[in-house]
Amino acid sequence: MLTGFRILDPGWQTTIQDEGRPRLRRFGIPCSGALDQFSLQVSNLLVGNRPGAAGLETVLQGLCLEAVGSVIVAVTGGDLSAEWNGQPAPLWTSFRMASGDRLRFRCHQNGCRACVALRGGVAAPQYLGSCSTFARGGMWRNLQRGDLLPANDPAPLSPWSQMRSLAPALRPRPTSDYRVRVIIGPHQDRFTHDGLHTFLTARYRISSRSDRQGFRTEGPPVATTHGSDIISDPTPVGSVQVPGDGQPIILLRDGQTTGGYARIAAVISSDLDQFGRMMPADTVRFESVSREAALDAAARRRRLLRYLTAAFAD
Amino acid sequence: MTDEVSRPPQLHRIVPVGEDGLLVEFAAEISPTINRAVRRLSTALEQSGLTGVLEIVPAYRSLLVSFDSRLVELSPLRAAITAIAETLEDQPLPPSRLFRLPTVYGGSYGPDLDHVCNASGLAADEVIDLFSRQRFPVCCLGFLCCLAYLGGVPHPLQLPRRATPRLRVPAGAVGIANAQAVVLPIELPSGFHYLGRTFVSLYDPQQFPPTPIRPGDVVEFPAVSAEAAQEWTGQFPGVCDVDRISNSGPGLADDHSG
Repeated sequence: MLTGFRILDPGWQTTIQDEGRPRLRRFGIPCSGALDQFSLQVSNLLVGNRPGAAGLETVLQGLCLEAVGSVIVAVTGGDLSAEWNGQPAPLWTSFRMASGDRLRFRCHQNGCRACVALRGGVAAPQYLGSCSTFARGGMWRNLQRGDLLPANDPAPLSPWSQMRSLAPALRPRPTSDYRVRVIIGPHQDRFTHDGLHTFLTARYRISSRSDRQGFRTEGPPVATTHGSDIISDPTPVGSVQVPGDGQPIILLRDGQTTGGYARIAAVISSDLDQFGRMMPADTVRFESVSREAALDAAARRRRLLRYLTAAFAD
Repeated sequence: MTDEVSRPPQLHRIVPVGEDGLLVEFAAEISPTINRAVRRLSTALEQSGLTGVLEIVPAYRSLLVSFDSRLVELSPLRAAITAIAETLEDQPLPPSRLFRLPTVYGGSYGPDLDHVCNASGLAADEVIDLFSRQRFPVCCLGFLCCLAYLGGVPHPLQLPRRATPRLRVPAGAVGIANAQAVVLPIELPSGFHYLGRTFVSLYDPQQFPPTPIRPGDVVEFPAVSAEAAQEWTGQFPGVCDVDRISNSGPGLADDHSG
């Protein structure tokens, strides 16, 4: 019997996202995938999926979906006032929705995006090995009213399995003033001493012209030595590029694979998830760290995920 | 040009990018010699199967090597890349293929043809003739959806970008700015001058690879009627004359000036 979700209202924007499609940048294909990978991974583990399985990423507010058959779900990420049949839905906790139950994201409290996992994972067409929506590139589309999203056949629940919850201490804490760690380079020689100082001390406001491709910021301009144009070269996810107006742009998971602006820094991998939580008008400060510190942070994140994978296993 | 007989270009520098990338740079110029060195190094690195290397992304004058820092440390990887870069003289490249993309020029298909005529002092026929006879080398793929960065725009047609970029330019639009030409794989914003449009598909995310074109190939935009161009709607371009184009010989990749 088919189980899954029916979309009654996609809200502001809801897409199917998974861990993305890495290693296609040489073709000019961005990796896509949930902006907040930690929230996607935990939501999946909570319902007994592998961490990178396909789920929903919804932005701000308005998503309303209905359970088709009995489904096990989890909502993680920002607090978008999720309601389950009109009552506050549990966050970072798995629960079972009966057929016809509704889950609705009323308005955003803190954070900007939420992930919704479905036990079994959302069955969706694959493009280049991933179900992640990249509408601009013809890889599926934003969800619409009436879409029926079946679950892949989930493993049967073992008799001793139970609902799961992420310890509150491990949940990202809500904020509107973010601190993002970066490794300076590769084009630091294109910026003046003052420019680098400005970048590392000023608070930048997240522009409303920010999306999954990149986050624009507004703040004191970062001064360059002789302009910001370079011969286009590869721009990995997390690149902080500074165009002619001096306002840093952080390239994210739908971002271009090559670019012609000097890049002052790269966001460390374990801090990229934060951009999935930021709202327009939130502020961000950039803190320079060493590569060793970035590797330590990445290792800590992997250990936590390994621990949760074991702790939440069926 | 004599670049094939002289020493191949030297590495400019190798710098870390983020925690798991190395940016390998040759001299900061757009030139066929430099780009060929990039493609040679990229091919050599692909073939060497260095432990821990996840992906190699070549561009005009640089390439990004991303790696798993649990499997390989930065300094030995940097040393290995430097050593491989010393042996590029003997590195063969994959065969260069010629793609012909039937293109309809001018009118609503090429809204900037008149501007290019005014700026270059050439008649429309002359611009179309010059452009459609040119062979454009593919320097790299990038931006979004396999956009091919083409070099080799002939001098009279080299114009700076539009002051105000267009917000929407359709897939298939064929445009120029400075020494660069592009053919858009999807609708994109762009500041290039658009001379014409092809209906050949250059991007299909249901295929692997998602584009038939690869760096080192050569592209032509022969002028055809709107009807003939539209017959190609949705089809991948055919490969022409694989053997006629050689990477080792003179010509083609060399006649694109930076």
